[in-house]
Amino acid sequence: MPTVDSSTETSPSPSVATAGILAESRRAVADVGHLLRFRSSTLKHRSTTWWVMGVLAVATLALMTVPHFVEGAGNSDRAVDLVVLMPTAFAGFLALAIAAAVASGGGRELLSREHGVAFPVSPTTDYLGALLLAPLNIAWILQAWVLLGSMAYATTSGQLLAAQVGTVLWLIAATALGQLVAWTVEWVRRSPRGSLTVRMLGLALLGAAVMLQVAGLLVEALESLPTLSLVVGLVQGFTVRWVLTIAALVALLLGATALGAVPAHLAARRPTRDEAKVESGRYAARAVARSPLLALVRTDRSSIWRAVPMRRGIAVLAIGPGLVALAGDLDWAQMTILPGLVASGGALLFGVNSWCLDGRGGLWRESLPVPAWQVFTARAYALGEFLVVGSSVTLLLAGLRAGVPSVSELTALLCTWLIVVLQVVSSAMRWSSKRPYAVDLRSARATPAPPASMVTYSAKLAVTTTMTSLVFSGLARTDHPEVSILAAAPFVLWSSVRMLHARDAWVDPVSRARVVTTVAG
Amino acid sequence: MTPPEPVVDVRSLHVRFGEVEAVAGVDLQAYAGHATALLGRNGAGKSTTMRVLAGVVPPTAGSVTVAGHDVRTDALAVKRAIGYCPDVGGLVPRATPWEHLQLSARLRRLDDWEARGRDLLERFELGDVAHRVTTGFSHGMGRRLSVVLAALHQPEVLLLDEPFDGVDPIGVEATLDVINDARSRGACVLVSTHLRELAIQACTTVTVLRGGSRVATVTALEMAGEEGARAYRGLLD
Repeated sequence: MPTVDSSTETSPSPSVATAGILAESRRAVADVGHLLRFRSSTLKHRSTTWWVMGVLAVATLALMTVPHFVEGAGNSDRAVDLVVLMPTAFAGFLALAIAAAVASGGGRELLSREHGVAFPVSPTTDYLGALLLAPLNIAWILQAWVLLGSMAYATTSGQLLAAQVGTVLWLIAATALGQLVAWTVEWVRRSPRGSLTVRMLGLALLGAAVMLQVAGLLVEALESLPTLSLVVGLVQGFTVRWVLTIAALVALLLGATALGAVPAHLAARRPTRDEAKVESGRYAARAVARSPLLALVRTDRSSIWRAVPMRRGIAVLAIGPGLVALAGDLDWAQMTILPGLVASGGALLFGVNSWCLDGRGGLWRESLPVPAWQVFTARAYALGEFLVVGSSVTLLLAGLRAGVPSVSELTALLCTWLIVVLQVVSSAMRWSSKRPYAVDLRSARATPAPPASMVTYSAKLAVTTTMTSLVFSGLARTDHPEVSILAAAPFVLWSSVRMLHARDAWVDPVSRARVVTTVAG
Repeated sequence: MTPPEPVVDVRSLHVRFGEVEAVAGVDLQAYAGHATALLGRNGAGKSTTMRVLAGVVPPTAGSVTVAGHDVRTDALAVKRAIGYCPDVGGLVPRATPWEHLQLSARLRRLDDWEARGRDLLERFELGDVAHRVTTGFSHGMGRRLSVVLAALHQPEVLLLDEPFDGVDPIGVEATLDVINDARSRGACVLVSTHLRELAIQACTTVTVLRGGSRVATVTALEMAGEEGARAYRGLLD
């Protein structure tokens, strides 16, 4: 436990202290390498992981270059519009990096707290690991692709390399900045009344955004963001200003990376109050559930809503896109994209490995006299309910400025909502049985599966739900609501069949035993 | 006089997980009103055998009947007959002890269980934490609650896997009482442990497993004292 120096102790000289910090930093960086090697050696499907990484790298390179050679790139009105929007998009990426890291209590763990407890892992190593894992997130990847693709299309001939070097540097620097802010917020959150302070801070930021919007100053505020001069410095080719901009970005990256270790150390000295509150809190007894199924649902519900990562994650997922939609004044047809976004994100909080909710209690639960299909039904229902609650909040916020929807718009939106929730729940339940992991979801930083699997899951969910949403976004603009219902039928049928397959996999005793013994650890 | 029918009857049990054979031909009989200890080193197959008896893991080969029900074809009936304390954790992390008891009672259709539930929690010194989630419990507290959950419905077959592991003397005492109560009402008790002294104290018969197979079944008295310790070491080597 750190203590203050006694009166008989002399403080080390500044040069000795600096040498000590440098040695510790070198050691922390080396430890990140050791942990990465350890993690990669424990991967079950290493070839698949490398294949996924290769696909992601090729796709990124393609997005960085191909749009530059499309007709209209660099000189069309659309290209000019993109250049104008780039500063806001750069700022949006930073906001995402901060929000993701704050929601996950500083970022993901390279080694879980439970596994890392026996090893001398320093807060710097932990922080650098979180920084390294931050891009393994579909929201990060998609936003990065949008920025790189837009920049490739927006830049004029001969300026592509200069612009993309700067954009890549911004992506990394913004991620490091996001970590710095997130660890600082985590340090505040772990102080007495820290949770309240962080919530008040969030509300203040929200209030400021609403005020700007109401006063009609939001566009003006976005145009005065510092990212404007950053973009200007990048899109003019290899000029002196470009060199200065790159130097500033490198300085920002190095500074944020180095400084981020400070709040990480400070936070590590404080107890995780949100988690401790859940663990030490008392929950009043309720009457016994009316039926076995309700009893199972109630237990699953408690496991979900009492977990810090789930509560915090769904709050960010529900409110964030809702506010963006509100500020962007989305119409009802465009809103069909929202339920899929929230449902996919919600499933990634625990649903893709949903049996891990029981943790080591899985063995006891499995010994209870209840048909396996009822256990499956309860878990799928609890997951679906979680996703519906989150997406309801998003749609409620998004609909505040959208006026009254037409029958076609409302029908298309409701159909999309039903379908994406079914798609996400059926996929999540299938993956839960196919690839279970022993995961302790105590920590706000925990994820239900290893980072590489999370990227694969999120990519699959994003593709499926986005495609579905686009179909119904088009149908919302027709005058025939019945077409949406007819179009929804095969989607619902297909997802229901997949759900039944997932149930069959769970009902099989051998498969179920493998899942239960795996998640029990 | 015909010998009593075993309540637990295991014949040539094999359990494989992929390439690993966790149990390689265990034979075991346990009787009503008796407590049988499964002794052996780590990895001897004790916990896997207990999981099969609890209906949690299906056998790969061999026959297993519990309270007259085949675990392979009638696992649900087996689960109604048993009370199981698993070897690891055994508790749902974000549910309270009382919620665990409620779930068990609901799924087993128990009436008037609350007084017994409270009494068990008090006996195991868990009354004060009945409404706190189990995530923050110590290992010993978790073990004690697992025994309470196994014993709540006074099952025909009580399966306790490592119930003494990391448990304080009061918890050990309470667990021994639960075993004695179960035996006296005619239940069949199986206790898996690597603690020989406690196995002898709790049980009448001892079955020693090694490398996934049974190597001996003797009376608890034969395993007692220095002589018993030497015999036990001899069986493990």
